[in-house]
Amino acid sequence: MRLFFTLLATLMLAGTAAAQHHNHGKPSAAPEAFTATPAFGPDGTLWLVRATADKIVVVKSTDLGKTFSEPVAVTPEPMNLDWGPDARARIAVDPKGGLIVTFAIFQDKNFNGRAFFARSKDNGASFTPPRPITADKTSQRFETVAVDPSSGRVFATWLDKRNGAKARASGRAYPGAALAYAWEDGDASFGKTEIALDNTCECCRLGVAFAGPGRPAIVFRNIFPGSVRDHAVVTFKDATTPGPLRRVSADDWKIEACPHHGPTIAIAPDGSYHVAWFTDAPSRKGLFYARADNGNVPFGAPRALSSPNRQPARPYLLSDGQALHLVWKEFDGTKSVVRWQVSRDSGRQWTEARTIAETSDASDHPLLVAYGGHAYLSWLTKIEGYRLIPLENQP
Amino acid sequence: MRKAAILALLLALAPLCNAHAADPQPFERGSWAKLRAAHEGQPTIVHLWGLTCAPCLTELPEWAKLEKERPDMRLVLLAADPVPQPPARVEEMLTRTGLGKTESWSFADRFNERLRFEIDPAWSGELPRTLMIDREGKVTTLSGVADLAEVKAWLDRQAKR
Repeated sequence: MRLFFTLLATLMLAGTAAAQHHNHGKPSAAPEAFTATPAFGPDGTLWLVRATADKIVVVKSTDLGKTFSEPVAVTPEPMNLDWGPDARARIAVDPKGGLIVTFAIFQDKNFNGRAFFARSKDNGASFTPPRPITADKTSQRFETVAVDPSSGRVFATWLDKRNGAKARASGRAYPGAALAYAWEDGDASFGKTEIALDNTCECCRLGVAFAGPGRPAIVFRNIFPGSVRDHAVVTFKDATTPGPLRRVSADDWKIEACPHHGPTIAIAPDGSYHVAWFTDAPSRKGLFYARADNGNVPFGAPRALSSPNRQPARPYLLSDGQALHLVWKEFDGTKSVVRWQVSRDSGRQWTEARTIAETSDASDHPLLVAYGGHAYLSWLTKIEGYRLIPLENQP
Repeated sequence: MRKAAILALLLALAPLCNAHAADPQPFERGSWAKLRAAHEGQPTIVHLWGLTCAPCLTELPEWAKLEKERPDMRLVLLAADPVPQPPARVEEMLTRTGLGKTESWSFADRFNERLRFEIDPAWSGELPRTLMIDREGKVTTLSGVADLAEVKAWLDRQAKR
């Protein structure tokens, strides 16, 4: 009988060891979001929304990220959060200090999403129960909010699958998704959803900046004829009239898949547009930057930001009022590093790229945030946790 | 009687152990070198796909067909999702597609930059992707959905050498 138990124990241990081996790196657990997104309030408070496992929380720091408050839950119940590599919960602060948080969940195994928002009117002490941004239930992902600096009105844009579902129901092909938008209607809901454009790429993040009062500009990966997935900007003529599509660059990246790799945009006080993006076209591979003098002229020639064999990825642009900052992620063979360039002449000349942070394990996208004329790198990494790193002036 | 019970138990548990061996192997830092070493000197096709890659799922049955058609093909499947997927779901998809018995690996590290770098520093992560590795270790890469005529021609060339 002792032999029996010894054998049984050995078998069970072997089985456990095999199971543990498979659990290494947590692949057998459900995939998880790993993001931290910042926003400064008008009083200099740093707000941070974190997506972890099945919940969204908000924390705040009044000492530039050195210490944080206890987390406040935005999701009262566990939710099946969108963990896509280009998805993230976001937070924006209106001029009165009101907070708005957005995030998406997966509705099913086919990655159909549902975008939600929650508001706080008590300085982040509590949030309203999350409500859908739009009534249509087909699919929304990559929801992005931005506050119109002139009015404090919140603008939301996302990738929406409703027109694709309608087209397929009537036997028509519909590549990609639609670029949808809505303006907040009071604090309790968003107004009517409008479609700005059909057939955009369906799983890349969006970038938003304001060209003027009531005039958002959105950068996105479009689908051009022949399944070419290059970037374009749409600038609104007024709050409800999306302007024409302006192509950022003719990379001619023909791909029948989604790159999970979206662009970034900044508009400087002089009205100039700045865009950075990833492409893997045969003739142009890696990260690129281009500028345009204003919203009506074509973008200039793309400038390469890195060597394609360093896996350059996840660019982010910010205009802090005086300077333009540009960061991105590279991999040097052992570490992921964040590279930084700054321009003080509207993006015509840039400083040499400099490494400002690094990590030797998994990391979120590098983001930029500014307050009081100072710009900061905001970066969540697995080993170091969350860091807010000031971008000092360069000689 | 007792011995018979032990034997019965062992026999009953044995398939469970084997089932583990058929799971996708966790692809971690250093796994690429092990995979290459295990197939060294043998023409091998490594097909990179992902559960979160729609065109990959459309393409997989074509690989199942080709595997039946070409017993001379050494095929290795590597699920390279940027966010690691549950091995059970990877296995479920492969079994449903008829590729359940093929050697299979699955990214098991969120630091996918590192994993991709070991395979090919210039690979930015796009899927599907097919690496055809000849006897000398020379890699021919097919980016996107593979042209199977090209794969067959490559297999024919390996057979003649």
